[in-house]
Amino acid sequence: MYALIIDDSRAMRSILRRIVTDLGFETLEAADGQEALDHLNAGRIPTLCLIDWNMPVMDGYTFITNVRANSEWRDITLMMVTTESEHGQIVKALAAGAHEYVIKPFTPDAIADKLELLGLVAKAVPA
Amino acid sequence: MTITVEPSYDDVQMLVDEVWTSFLGSEEPLLPGAPTDLAVGWSAAVTVSGEWHGMVSVELPTGLAEEVTRRMLMVEETLDEDVADAVGELVNMIGGNVKSLMPGPSVLSLPVVAAGRVARPSDSVEVCRLDASWAGTPLLVSVYVRKDA
Amino acid sequence: MTISDSSFAFVSDLARRETAMLYDPGKEYLVEARLLPLAREAGCTDVDAYVLRLQVDAAERAKALDALTINETSWFRDMAPYQAFTELMLPSIVARREHTRHISIWSAACSSGQEAYSLSMLLDEHLPPGWTAQILATDISHKMLARVEAGRYSQVEMNRGLPATSLVKYFSRAGSEWEVNDNLKKMVRTQHLNLSTSFPPLPTFDIVFIRNVLIYFDLDVKRDILRRVGQVISPDGFMLLGSSETTLDLDDHWDREAHGRVQVHRPVGYANVPAFSPQPTPESIAMTGA
Repeated sequence: MYALIIDDSRAMRSILRRIVTDLGFETLEAADGQEALDHLNAGRIPTLCLIDWNMPVMDGYTFITNVRANSEWRDITLMMVTTESEHGQIVKALAAGAHEYVIKPFTPDAIADKLELLGLVAKAVPA
Repeated sequence: MTITVEPSYDDVQMLVDEVWTSFLGSEEPLLPGAPTDLAVGWSAAVTVSGEWHGMVSVELPTGLAEEVTRRMLMVEETLDEDVADAVGELVNMIGGNVKSLMPGPSVLSLPVVAAGRVARPSDSVEVCRLDASWAGTPLLVSVYVRKDA
Repeated sequence: MTISDSSFAFVSDLARRETAMLYDPGKEYLVEARLLPLAREAGCTDVDAYVLRLQVDAAERAKALDALTINETSWFRDMAPYQAFTELMLPSIVARREHTRHISIWSAACSSGQEAYSLSMLLDEHLPPGWTAQILATDISHKMLARVEAGRYSQVEMNRGLPATSLVKYFSRAGSEWEVNDNLKKMVRTQHLNLSTSFPPLPTFDIVFIRNVLIYFDLDVKRDILRRVGQVISPDGFMLLGSSETTLDLDDHWDREAHGRVQVHRPVGYANVPAFSPQPTPESIAMTGA
């Protein structure tokens, strides 16, 4: 199971990589939406994309609309992970085809909770 | 005519605290501090433009910027490009959350990072200033708006 | 930095005396984690210095007790209980309350209210038109009850297990926080309640969520709480405990029924209860919020 981490910050990619690796994913990375699309076009199709909004070259919102325009990629789960936190922005991303939305800052548990909601990780050990 | 609107100190303090606790651990809390003459080693800024125009900046001494970088990247040694990346992401998170406190819609810029103080537009005025300290080291988060806004 | 044995003993005695909650040896880290922020706020150098202050300062003691009794909570925590709620409990109660079209729920030890509001979202989505619901959220901490009433949550709390579609449907921004909408707030009422002592007058509940709190009490107190919950639950109602908690060996007044990964508890003899019984108390009707 691959997760494609799309964020222009290496520090943030590193944080997300540690979290999803602990949850059982192998990872691919991209520093912007275009690099991420290049992965998909090259046949590297992940189960999950973690997507920042504000990035150079191609932003995360544009990436989502591109992914949703291609029916071959419809099984990919798209989760925004971004500091964009207005009500309207979340609605816009969901309408464009994002499945989930995590607002920065987040704790590792938040990513695990969301992936559990999406059925991508098994339930954590009972509290 | 646009009216100058500014974020409340409490809201800014809360969101900076959340950014800090989420990524740098909760064992050392971020404490409000008295204004100090900060020896700025690194700074970063993002601008917000649209319904609201403003700039959010973070200023850190070198040692603190490097510690933040070590914690975010989980590395022992930090290169300047690592520090620039980590400090940039810090201001991105704070700036994006400040944007959501203000009237929208507005657009957040990519972060600008500098070794030393980042320049701010001469027509801007500081409307919110958060002096804080973390692990005994001071830091500063500021919000500026255009004077004529 | 570690808490001294004498400080820990003082704190665990205090917690036991005031709330019947147990902080056994081995839980030092938990006491420290919860008291350290208060110690810093009070200007104490460490937790031991803060505990010395607790011995003479009643107001600070109340704050410490608040901190010690807070449970970390997230939206739809563990998910499976909420599936059992929509798939099993709600349809069963709805089928049996056609005469009142009202459903009464208790979220016991509600902490900051994520459980109560998660249930209110499910009710909003699944309750048939024309029905009303009331969720009573109780806690020992007045501070937590005030938070439930405000219905405001930080960004970090919002990220914990709340589906994005529910966030945009039920919340709006309020400064750096998010606030639950009035529709859901109307369904939730708060009341101060200490589970370890006799209950104040309560309505009869169709469904009781009392999760991840019995583990803090010793055996006798656990038994007593379960017995008293039994007195305020409908004979055909449901009780849900935490995933590591059970009524086994505790109280033989409950039957256990599995639904997926969760066990629901029902008063013994529930299968023989006729559909239109019991009549709800006048109080539970009066509290209808919607």
